[in-house]
Amino acid sequence: MEYVSPEGLRLDGRRPMEMRQIRGEIGVVAKADGSALFEMGNTKVIAAVYGPREVQNRSQQLNDSALVRCEYTMANFSTGDRMRKPKGDRRSTEISLVIRQTMEACIMTHLMPRSQIDIFVQVLQADGGTRSACINAASLALADAGIPMRDLVTSCSAGYLNSTPLLDLNYIEDSAGGADVTLGIMPKLDKVTLLQMDAKLSVETFENVMQLAIEGCKAVATYIREVLLENTKQLEYRRGI
Amino acid sequence: MVGLSIGEKHFIQGGIAQDLRSDGRKRLTTRPIYVETGVISQANGSARVRMGATDVIASVKAELGRPNALQPDKGKVVVNVDCSPTAAPMFEGRGGEELSAELSVALQCCLLGGKSGSGAGIDLSSLVVVEGKICWDLYIDGLVVSSDGNLLDALGAAIKAALSNTGIPKVNVAAGASGDEQPEVDVSDEEFLQFDTSRVPVIVTLTKVGRHYIVDATSEEESQMSSAVSISINRQGHICGLTKRGGAGLDPSIILDMISVAKTVSEQLINTLDSHIAAAEAGEEES
Repeated sequence: MEYVSPEGLRLDGRRPMEMRQIRGEIGVVAKADGSALFEMGNTKVIAAVYGPREVQNRSQQLNDSALVRCEYTMANFSTGDRMRKPKGDRRSTEISLVIRQTMEACIMTHLMPRSQIDIFVQVLQADGGTRSACINAASLALADAGIPMRDLVTSCSAGYLNSTPLLDLNYIEDSAGGADVTLGIMPKLDKVTLLQMDAKLSVETFENVMQLAIEGCKAVATYIREVLLENTKQLEYRRGI
Repeated sequence: MVGLSIGEKHFIQGGIAQDLRSDGRKRLTTRPIYVETGVISQANGSARVRMGATDVIASVKAELGRPNALQPDKGKVVVNVDCSPTAAPMFEGRGGEELSAELSVALQCCLLGGKSGSGAGIDLSSLVVVEGKICWDLYIDGLVVSSDGNLLDALGAAIKAALSNTGIPKVNVAAGASGDEQPEVDVSDEEFLQFDTSRVPVIVTLTKVGRHYIVDATSEEESQMSSAVSISINRQGHICGLTKRGGAGLDPSIILDMISVAKTVSEQLINTLDSHIAAAEAGEEES
């Protein structure tokens, strides 16, 4: 199948190095300490952060740092075909773990010993790149909750199909069988916190694809900063400063 | 669930007794309601309803299936609710399953009207494509995104809005199939049939706190309830379903009184909901 037309357009009309439209919104769950909605094209996720608060299960308490927990859930209606049993399968457990590790790397856990931070991500619509969207949403939600972080973590995926590196794969491109590199970076510190790839690539192509993903992450970071700045301005306005 | 001090509890109970609740509402005033339709693009119909800090999403998906052998002239409708852990950390893992099951069952009995489906708010016979062979299976999924009490009413409203937003593809049946053969169908992706949602009921929950009952309780108020009665009522004023929750017993005469109160509240609710749904649908078509 042809994923990039001779004119250089992808199935959804994007150029190879073009991202889907991204949108972030802060404060979508009123009861949470921090929350955010993040959309990448048709992929739509909500993240909610509770904490830092008392550790619920005493045996898990850490005396020198905060306990970070994460749960990833997909709504029944999030995929094209209706899912029957979404809770606690291996895929969501794995993604929960990935998100937890990625976020843990940027949260300054040593400042909040003997406490717990819960990150819940809920996928409303899945169209490829849920992992990236979840991490971006979690980043925004953590910032909204006012949790001290070393830097924002932003994530974006890139792939390689029809000998072209493609940025931000959608579901059809993702399931095409080509390589799929999901990357998470801390843009200011310029450090990679998450890197996953399936399928095989030569080293040179991998370098190109990864460079593309880094560019994507940086673009997301710029946008997330804008959203946060806008939100802070709103807060400032409401306080009447 | 909700951590309240004794003083706060007394404040809530006293406010309800004096017909002035913590957020300034009267006992029978609902919170403002916001409706957004078409939020889930993969579904046949969807809606998001917000009442204060309560936020729910309902989606309707239609799949072709075989009708039940006992009821060849009726389609199938399944209602399922999930509580997202984003709403409250206690819903994490399997923590939300009990509440999800309770809400699903309550919605099922309010919307589908028993096993025979005769009292259903949705006209099940309109879902049949070929009698005894092909029908539409409707999967109605509710998702609680944020919870601040009165989930059942919000879910009921969201499902009503989602059904108004639902387009069922038109199906052309290839002629010539006879006997036991499964006829071939052609599902149109251009023509859609709209549902008649005028008979879909709304749900009004009356929560009894102390000697009085209130509508649209927040989670703080719900934590003080002795019992709650959810009544689903349609536009004609018929009761489509009734569920009682909570431990304490209720006097039968109070239940009858509650039903009449619910009836007047439901009239306002249906009117506001219908106008909101119409506005949301119009807004969606424009954009």
